[in-house]
Order: sequence, then structure tokens, then C-alpha cells
Amino acid sequence: MRTDCDEALENLYLYLDSELDSVSSARIRSHLDDCRGCGPQFDFEGRLKAVVKERLHEDVPDAVVDRVRAAIREESAADLQ
Amino acid sequence: MADQVDFERDAMQYTRQLYSAAMRMTRNPADAEDLVQETYLKAYRAYHTFQEGTNLKAWLYRILTNTYINKYRKDSRRPSEVDLGTVEDMYLYRRLGSEESAEAARTTEDRVLDGLVESDIKQAVEELPESFRMPVLLADLEGFSYKEIAEILDIPIGTVMSRLHRGRKAMQKRLWEFAKQRGLLPEDAKRP
Repeated sequence: MRTDCDEALENLYLYLDSELDSVSSARIRSHLDDCRGCGPQFDFEGRLKAVVKERLHEDVPDAVVDRVRAAIREESAADLQ
Repeated sequence: MADQVDFERDAMQYTRQLYSAAMRMTRNPADAEDLVQETYLKAYRAYHTFQEGTNLKAWLYRILTNTYINKYRKDSRRPSEVDLGTVEDMYLYRRLGSEESAEAARTTEDRVLDGLVESDIKQAVEELPESFRMPVLLADLEGFSYKEIAEILDIPIGTVMSRLHRGRKAMQKRLWEFAKQRGLLPEDAKRP
């Protein structure tokens, strides 16, 4: 028999990725509040997702932005001629 | 050209994101810069075809992705042929969960999440085969919805979900290896 835990874990990423409708999402949220097994798992996966996002970012060097802007303006100037 | 002012105002706000994605795709700054520049030029030239009110960021990513695939993908691996092997769900979490108390478990989790440095995360993502790396980048770096990822990569939404799922698991396995190397795991979890 499928338990609430099975259902929650099956939908873990859909939940974390905000891909569930509001009813399913609320159902899982209320399960997580009660369940000592699922809560920490969801919590960990959510924190990992945030860590991945934060540490994958790269600061774009100003020189790169300047060059892109210059290239667009050059293209734009060429269009006008 | 009035277009140019609008384009710069609307599109240039995404340089940091596009550059981050380009770095993870090309794996080096020179190619990432070229890729971003080419993406913006193509986008600018095609800007008149962009429909106001639709998703500009997703449109830029579609151009970035297609440009990358056409220009930089030199290896012959076809996405469908890549096998990541079998990795269980929640690979990393399940390997941390040997602690007796919730507090001890939380301490281990914190140590791992704090201790994995940028280069670990970047390498774990960069090592993913391209067909898995793209959905992971678009979802985890950018927070695009599955539907947007499907449109950007031009693959069915079910394929997005399965590649994302498998890509994330493979990434977790790699992160676990980094955590192990860095001595972030409890003793009994260090066994291979």
C-alpha cells in the first residue's frame, strides 16, 4: 500500500522545483510538518539545491559586459549605414 | 536604431546568468566570453522577431544553448546514448543518515553543505554529460520551470524530468566523493 511518505518522496523534486499544483503542494507541506522521516530529507534536498545554485554562479567580468555592449553598438552603427 | 536602446535595457540584465551558464557549458573563460558575445549578437539581430511580453530570459537561453551546441559540441556523444549508470535516489542524504540523533545528523548535513566548496559543485556539474548538464543548469542555476526547459532545449517535458532527475543523482554521487575527500563525512560513512 502506498503511504503518505511514498507519495511525498515520489514528488520531492516536483515539490522543490515548484512544479506541483497548489493542492498537491499543500498536501505535501502538511505531511512534512507531521513526518519526522520526510521532513529532514526534504529539508536537506532543498538546502542542497540552494547551495548548488549559490556556488554555481560566476561573476561576469566587467570587461566581458563592456565588450558585449560594444559589439551590439557596432552592429547597430553598421545597420544605420 | 531605437531597437538597440530597448535591447540593451531589457537583455543586458542577464549577462551574469548567461555568463555563469556559459562557463559551466564551455568550462573555460575565453570560450564562455565568446559564447556570451555571440549569443547577444544573434539575439540583437533577431530581436525584431522576439515577441514582446514573452519570456526574454528563456529566449536568450535558447539562443545560448543552440549556439553552444552548434559551435562547441565537438564530441560525438549523442545524448540518448549516454548512460549514467544506476544511482539511487537521494544518494548524498542517505549516506549521511547514520547518526543516532536528529541533532547529530543535522550537524553532519551542515558540515557537508558548508564544506563543499564552489569548485566541487562546479566540477560535479561540469562532469555531467551534456544532455544531463543542460537541464541541471537550467533548473538549478536558473530556476527555469520544466516547461521552459523543454522549450529551451527543444525536448519533451518528460525527457526534461528524467534527465534532471538522473543528472542530479549523478551530481550527488560526485559531491559525496568530494565530501569524503574533504573529510566531511562521519567515520562510518567513509566506506566506499
